[in-house]
Formats: sequence, C-alpha cells, structure tokens
Amino acid sequence: MIFVTPWVLTGLLALPVLWWLLRVTPPAPRSEIFPAIRFLLGLNATEETPSRTPWWLLALRVGAAGLIIVALARPVLDAGTALAGKGPVLLVMDNGWASAEDWARRKEAANALLDRAERAGRKAALLTTAEDASGAPIAITATMPVADLRARLAAMQPQPWASDRAGAADAMEHWSDNANAAVIYAPDGLTDGADFDRFATAMRATGPVTEICCDMPTSPLLLPPGSEADRLIVHLAMTPRATATEASVLAQSGDGRTLARAVVSIPAGASVASAPLPLPPELRNRLTRLVLEGPPSAGSVVLLDERWRRRPVGLLSGDLSTADTPFTGSIYFLKRALDPFTELREGTAATLLKRDISVLVLADRPLPAGEERDALEAWVRKGGLLIRFAGPRTAEAATNDTDTLLPVRLLAGDRQLGGAMSWSQPAGLAPFPTTSPFAGLSVSEEIKVTRQVLAEPSADLSGRTWAALEDGTPLVTESALGAGRVVLFHVTANADWSDLPLSGLFVDMLRRMVELSVGVANTQGTAMLAPAETLDGFGLLSPPPPAAIGLQADKFASTPVSPRHPPGLYGPESGRQVLNLGTSIASPEAAPPITGATLETVRGSARERALGPPLLALAIVLLCADMLISLALRGLLRPRIAATAAVMLLLAIPGAHALDASPNPATDTRLGYIVSGDSRVDDIAKAGLEGLSEYVNARTAATLYEPDAVQPGQTDLSLYPLLYWPITADAPEPTASQVAALNDYTSHGGIILIDTRDSGSGAGFAPGTEDALKRIARGLMVPPLAPLTSEHVLSHAFYLLSDFPGRFTGDTVWVQRDQDRTNDSVSPVIIGGNDWAAAWAMTPDGNNPYAVIPGGQHQRILAYRFGVNMVMYALTGNYKGDQVHVPAILQRLGQ
Amino acid sequence: MPTDALTAEALGARLPPLLVAADRVASTVAQGVHGRRRVGQGDSFWQFRRFVSGDPLSRIDWRQSAKSGRRPPDGWFIRETEWEAAQTVCLWRDTSASMRWRSRQVSVDKRDRANLLLLSLASLLLRGGERVMMMQQDTRPIASRSGLDRLVADLQAANDEAGLPPDIPLPRHGSVVLFSDFLSPLEDIQTLIARFAAVPVTGYLMQILDPAETALPYQGRIRFRGTESDGEALIPRAESVRDAYAERLKAQQDGLARICSTAGFGFGVHRTDHAPELALLTLYQALAAK
Repeated sequence: MIFVTPWVLTGLLALPVLWWLLRVTPPAPRSEIFPAIRFLLGLNATEETPSRTPWWLLALRVGAAGLIIVALARPVLDAGTALAGKGPVLLVMDNGWASAEDWARRKEAANALLDRAERAGRKAALLTTAEDASGAPIAITATMPVADLRARLAAMQPQPWASDRAGAADAMEHWSDNANAAVIYAPDGLTDGADFDRFATAMRATGPVTEICCDMPTSPLLLPPGSEADRLIVHLAMTPRATATEASVLAQSGDGRTLARAVVSIPAGASVASAPLPLPPELRNRLTRLVLEGPPSAGSVVLLDERWRRRPVGLLSGDLSTADTPFTGSIYFLKRALDPFTELREGTAATLLKRDISVLVLADRPLPAGEERDALEAWVRKGGLLIRFAGPRTAEAATNDTDTLLPVRLLAGDRQLGGAMSWSQPAGLAPFPTTSPFAGLSVSEEIKVTRQVLAEPSADLSGRTWAALEDGTPLVTESALGAGRVVLFHVTANADWSDLPLSGLFVDMLRRMVELSVGVANTQGTAMLAPAETLDGFGLLSPPPPAAIGLQADKFASTPVSPRHPPGLYGPESGRQVLNLGTSIASPEAAPPITGATLETVRGSARERALGPPLLALAIVLLCADMLISLALRGLLRPRIAATAAVMLLLAIPGAHALDASPNPATDTRLGYIVSGDSRVDDIAKAGLEGLSEYVNARTAATLYEPDAVQPGQTDLSLYPLLYWPITADAPEPTASQVAALNDYTSHGGIILIDTRDSGSGAGFAPGTEDALKRIARGLMVPPLAPLTSEHVLSHAFYLLSDFPGRFTGDTVWVQRDQDRTNDSVSPVIIGGNDWAAAWAMTPDGNNPYAVIPGGQHQRILAYRFGVNMVMYALTGNYKGDQVHVPAILQRLGQ
Repeated sequence: MPTDALTAEALGARLPPLLVAADRVASTVAQGVHGRRRVGQGDSFWQFRRFVSGDPLSRIDWRQSAKSGRRPPDGWFIRETEWEAAQTVCLWRDTSASMRWRSRQVSVDKRDRANLLLLSLASLLLRGGERVMMMQQDTRPIASRSGLDRLVADLQAANDEAGLPPDIPLPRHGSVVLFSDFLSPLEDIQTLIARFAAVPVTGYLMQILDPAETALPYQGRIRFRGTESDGEALIPRAESVRDAYAERLKAQQDGLARICSTAGFGFGVHRTDHAPELALLTLYQALAAK
C-alpha cells in the first residue's frame, strides 16, 4: 500500500489536540420549558455533573477524523512499481486471433498498468498490432488522458486474423510523440511472422518496455481437418510446450449441438498433433464446424463446407435400357445402397462430368478408347474415385485388351465356381486385409461368389487387393491414378454373379469407399463469392465487417485471412464456401520476451485499488453514528426520529429485493411440476412452466403466478389446476402415500400432464423413460386412454389445434377415452413424450434456451398454444366441449 | 383572514365535546352525592309539621288542619317549603402562560383541565339552581343551564396573562372557586385572600399541577426556561435537585393551606394525570358541606 499524497498524514499529529479539545468541552445542555422555574432558581447542584463526553464517543470522533485524514492521503492498495520515463505511455496491445482466449485478463492487466500511468499524471496512446475490421493501416492513436484511453480499450475486441508485426513496427518508428515515453506491451505470445525482431526493436527504441507476461501458453490453433473414409482427422498446431497435455475437439451441427468429440493428446514439445474423429456419414453431413474446447477464439473454430460433406455419386451402366429393372438391373442394388447417404446422379458420362462429382460408379460398362474414356481418365487424375463393377461386357472387353482404365489387367473371360458342371463350390469372402478401407467390417459366411473376372497375377497384386475370396483370388482391386483412384469389383453389381449386392456388407463397402473420395465444393472457378457470415475474434459468426470483400472461388486455399478476407462463410446460401484461419496461417511460433523489458505477470498485476473513497465513506458512517449518539445523549432522539433514521439507513443500503413468491398458493392460480429429483429436468420444468405462464398471461384472461415445485404427499395438490410431471429414466416408484395423493388429486378434478420427453422427433433423447412411466403409473388410477385427436376438447379449448408438438413432434398424445363420462369428461391424465417444458422454457431475458426439433418458430408457437389449451382445459373443464357437438346439435335441430 | 377564520372554526369545533364532557362529569357526581334536601325558603312543598307555639298563624295550612279532624291547636299543621335560596358562586381559572403547558407524560395541559373542571362545576351548580359568575370584568351571573354556552364563549375568549384574579366587586357572602397552579409568591396570594375575606366571601382554591411539576422527572444537564419570562436555570444534574425542589414545592403548598384555613377557604391539589372526577367530587363536597 502506498500513499499518493503522504504529506496529508501529518494531519494525524493534530488528533491528540482534537482529543483534548473534545474532552474539555461539555456536552450542550438540553433545554426544557418548566413553569415552576421559580423553585429551581438558585438551587445549587449538590454534585458536579460529568460534563465530559464519554470516552468511547471521543474515540469514535477521533477515529472518524483519523479516517478522513488517511483517506485524503489517498492510499492505494496493490500499487505496482512506477513506470519508467516521464512522457506519454504507449500501450501496445496484441489483438490478433491468439489474444482472444484470455482477452479479459489481458485488458485487466493493461488497465492495471494504466492505473500507474494515470496516477503519475501521464498521458497515453494505444497501438493495436492487428488491423481493425475497417482494414485501415495500423496506426498509433493520438496521445490522450488515460481515462479517455480506457474507453477505447474497453471497446477493443480481438480480431480473427494474425497480428501485423511489420505494420506495427512501422507505426512505432513513425511515432513523433515519443519524447521520454514508456511502452506497455501486452503480447499474445506468438511471433506472427518473421518481422517480430523488427517489431521488438522498434518497441525498445520507443522507450523502456514493460511486458505483461502471460503465464500460460497460447492455446492451439485448429487446422482444417483431413477427410478419411469413416472419419475426420483433426489437426492442431501449437507452440511447443513443456508437458504433455490434451485438447478436445467438438464436432458441432448447425444448431449448435455437439455430435462427436475427439480428444487430441499433445505430446511435450510437439508443434502439431492430430486425432481421428470417427463419424457416421449421416452425422458427418450435418457438421458445420469443429470447435476446440476451451476459451473461444477465432483460432479454435474451423468451419466446414461442402468439401467435407457432400459426395455426389454418378451412376453409369452398360445397358441403359434395363439398368433399373427391379432385382435384375445392373444399377438396381447400387441405387438403393447409395441413395441414403449420397447425392445420386444418373446420365451419360458427358452429362455427369459436366458437374462436379466425387464418385462415379460404372456397372459393367466397358470403356473402349475414345472421348468418354479420356474424359473419365482426366477426371480421375484430378482426384475422382471411379468404381467399376465387372460383368459379361467388361469381361469381354478385357479379352480384347481395349479397356485400360482398370486397376489390374484382367484375364480373358471369367471364372465360374460351383454350378452343375463344376466340381468347385461357390467361394466365400476372406477377412479383409488390414490395409484395406474395408478393414473392420465383418464378413458374412452367407455371401458366396459364383462368378468373377480374374486379375492377371502380378507382383503388386496383393497390395492392390482390398478384398479377396477365401482362396485368395482378388475380389476388389484398386490402383491410384493421378490424384484419384480406380476401384474394380470383380463381380457384377447385381445378384447374377454373387450374393454380395444382397448383403448389408455391400452397403457398408460402398459407404466406406464413398467416404474415401474427395468432397467437392459446390462452386469452382473464378466466380466471386461475397462474404455472407464471418467469424469475429471470439469465433462467433456475425455479419461481415465493412472492409470484407468477395473472394474468387478458386483462391480460397491460397488466400490468407485479413480484414479484406475475414474467416467465415462466403458465397450464396446454396453453396457456401469457407475461408478458415488455419488454412493459410503459418504454424504458431512462440515469441521470445522482449530483451530488457520489465516483466509483469498477468496474475500479479491485479488492478490497484484506491482505498480513499471507502475510508471516506466509513468516516461519514462514523460521523452519522456520532450524530445519532449525540442526539440520544441530549435526549433529542425521539423514537420517531430514530425510526426514520433507521429506515433511511436501511433504504440507503442497496439490495436486490426480488419479489418473492407468495408463500400461500391458495391466493393465486399457479401451475405446478412434480419434482423428479434430477435438477436439470426440474430446472427445465420450472423454466418451461414460467414461460408458459407468461405466454398465458399475455394471451388470455387467465392470470398465472410463479409455478411451484410440488412433492406429492407433502404439498397440498388441491391448489394446483395442472401438474406437469417430467419422467426420468431412474425415477423411483412413488410411495403409497404419494400414489394416494395423486389419485386423490386426479379423482377430484386435477390434471396431470405426464411427459416422457423421448418420442417423436426426439426419440432416444431420454432413453428408459417409457419403462419408468410403466413402473410409475402402476399404482395410479389411469383411465382407459385414447389418442388425442382434433375432435377432443383439448384441441379446442383456446386455439384450434390439430398437432400438439413440444420440443419434439410427431408423437401421439394420450388422453382419457371420450366415452368416459366421469369427471365431466375431463381427462385426469394427459400422457405424451414431446418434452413440452423444454419448448416452453424461457430465460429471464426472453430467449428460448432449447431448440425445437425439427425446428422452426411455428413448432414453438404450436407448443405454446398446446400449453395454453391445456391451461384452459384445466381451468374451464369441458366448457368448450359444446362446440365439439355443434354439428350434432345442428343436425338435431334440423330434424 | 383565513387564518383567523380557521382558528375560530377550530375553537368552535372544540365546544360540544367540552360541554358534553362537563355534563358527563356532573351527572356522575350528582348520582354519588344527594342534593340539599332541607327546609328553607322556596315555592316547592317540602313537608307538613305540627304547629308549635310561636309559629306565625299565616303559615298554617287550614285545609290540611281541617282534614286532620283534631282539635286546635293539636290539629294544626304548618306547611313547610324546601329551601330554594340561590347562591352566587364566582369562578375563575388562571390563563397565564404557565397554565398553557404540559409535560410529555400527559396529554392535557393545565388550562384545559382547569376549563373542564370549571365548566363541570358550573354545570353542577346550575343544575342545583345556583348562580354562577365568571370572575372577570363586565360579566353577569348566569342562572340557567342555557347560559352555559355563554360561559364557554367567555372561557375561550378570555386569555388573561395575569396570574391572579382581577379585582372586581363580588356579592357578599358568596363563594369563590379559583383554579390555578398558584406558583406565584405566597405574599401575593395572602393579599388576594385577605381581599376576599374582607368582602366577605369564602371559597376554595384548587391548585392544578402537572405531574412533572410535582416529581421533577428530568435527568442530566438541563437548561430550564420559565414560561413567563421569569428567567432560566441551568441545572447540571437535574436528578440531584429533585429533593430540594420537592421541599420548596411542599413549602408553597403548606403556605397555601395555611393561608386558606386562616381565612376559612378550602384548599385542594389536583394533578392533570389524575381523573378530573376526583377533583370535581372534592369541590362538590367542599361546597355542599357549607
């Protein structure tokens, strides 16, 4: 602790004088009017009054005076050493992508150092080393008072591109205001290119440097993933660190859900690391981004576009007329196998090749020399995957040796196994070799191959074999051709030659191969793609900054990110292309500390705290207390004055007084939810009922108050018109008293909405709740149920509904059978699994925290409307039931 | 003007409760003590009694004597009437500043209590057929209860700062009743009583004191100020002079009692925290005993 104006402390010397003065002055007498004053005149006091102030009051007053003196000396806690120099202070702030991860702490540390500059009365200027979003060249701000600079610092954000060391060095070299200056440097720990030395030199030339030293290494940079058959390979680049660590990469879909997680172990000293991220293709097609778990930054997000996703597959058969004939056509099985996970295209080779295509499947189509074969070969060399299936025509063409676009040379004719005229038996498949992309798929014994074309034996045949028969004959062979690959199935694509197309293995093999292929971007060539959404410094998608301009489609791989080309999504909605930070950036390199700089750790440079204001406040409180005590001693403190003062004091204490819910639920109508014991589920239920109550209050004449958590058997259920009961998989069976309470509740007009939260489009989200429901409902008096239809009163109670979605949709909702006339036909239970509470849930700021599935505002509105109907149903019973009978009534009237 | 009007209105608003309160107090007393039932001058029949020699013949009730059927003079009856002679009672209460004061312990000041007692007494006296007169300049006796309103008006109007009654001609053999705190020097009171005794009239002095004036319940360092610019006293420790004060007050009261008994006056002390009925009863008995 230091004192900014220590000479004020000499005032403490006056305290003993003050003590003495206060001691000798008697307290002022009270004044009283008294008629019988005549009898008092001349009465001498028999003893001397203690005209001294009590010692504790003296101590209080002297203490207050002392506090004021100490406060005026402006004590500062946690003050650091003063900055060197007397002139302006230049704050050099790295705000490239690497600074985002502990941006708040960096700013705090810079602010702490600025405190010292401010205390010394120095002005300051700011230099940010990354270009701002407007794309203006890096420049030092005007020298201004520290208070003004703080506002700028507070508004500063990290940028999603790297720092420009050369630009910053230029700015410092041309800074004219540098007389007797000092430099505060807040680094992001990376060199960001080769110009770091020049940058450091320029900084040292400006003035003595105080460097805010970061005590943790910068987090890794997530690079665009590699694509393999059934997985993505996640790559990380980082500065080498001393100990081995781990990082997690999350694969997220467009609605922000995490679909998979890969743990990357980073060995000590490594600068790159990678890990596989296995993903089924259905999920992989839904990926939109990979996110490195940890502090958000532009470097920890990789956006994925069509290159990682869509695999257009072309189908080309030899005999176009019969190709699609059921069960016998050459591409009949192929179409059904590929359709679920690829985009299938058919047509002539020329038509197919006009558009981008990942995989081309040729079913028994020989390729004689000619234009078509040249076009296909050129396409394969560029990276295409050509899958060919053998057949009679191919076998014949191989005989003539005219088809060269094959992985292996084929022997003339084909080989037949089994059959009436053969001794041999149809052959099964051998297990797949480990080098094959099919490795790991289980081979079914039922698959028999009766005919096949044979490869000409050669030295490298076994290396090119991905699948073989039990006797070692190759069944699937491949060879690389340019950047692409040609794969040959030695059997037909229909069941003529083998059982393979009939088995599930066929689908798996095709899937593996399609995943092997290179994805295509939708747009190629020289089209200009305008930025649509770009990442900010914290890795969040936002509208593109003003300086962002379009980028030519074929230059995405080579363009470094910059204010003109920020990382993000480019192009039209139908064909987004991404520019990622990791694509073009050099691998991160740790920056050395600036030579000769004073180091301040981020943690050490806590904000200095001025103790003056709190001390002054304390002194004022003491003086107030002194005043009250003096008044009390003189008898002037009437109870009313004291009460008023106490109330004012209490009011002065700021406090968050939440309007608490009335403890008596009988006075207000409110919904209730049955506590499930799972705090997350209960929170959702509470938030959901709150959201629904607000919706009901806004739309209807009903007034609902804060919902309550209820425990059957403990809470008086009769006060709640409607209970929401979310079922968890591990819900215990209710006790006898709970069952009795619930049965009593339903038999006296209560309604329970039971939600298993796992059906319809949300199937599998809460496994086991169906069984739990059966277990729980065993003791309950559940009447015979029927599906809820649009005929039911519940669908008319307020809104006209034909669908009853919650967070999920599509599930049947069950209510009491309509014939049942007990309880005025009002169903005591409503059972469904649409997770309504999650759809109704609303955060205090009015957002819906849980996305509805499949989604859309319409579904949420319908969910709310169902809730309103339910509340109305609970409050008014079958009141709207008459409307259901309107047709019948009209008919009767007509008769 | 508005202020005056409002003040008048506020004064007027106080009238009915004061009257009612006074009536109520008077009724309570009338039930407790019998009226004066004795033979005297008056119109109402009181009783018959046998003629004794020396009675004037004009007072014989011949009709009653004839009905008795006896021989004269044994059968002669005298008709006696009830005594109806009216007494004029002069009333006065102190309105000086010292009377317009109350301590924090009580809710009524001394003048209000004096007014109440005075009105109650007047009401009682009027019901008993006496005449009542306020002891102030230019006033006439009141003989009927309808005059009570005038008395109230007089009470509200008069605000005499003098601590002693004015020197006005009083009916001889009348009675005076004085309400005051009698804190003025004994010599002044002695002079006053001597003046009354010379008329001659007798009467009663009711000293009305605030409980704070009897007990001096103050503590600590206090600057006492009088109500009538009679100086101030800084008492360093009020509790220490309590006994001395009590002695002085007792000396004053003893002096008063002595003066009164010498002149045939009655003397009583009333504290404003006590019920007014007590004081009224004391007065009633003192006046009726004559």
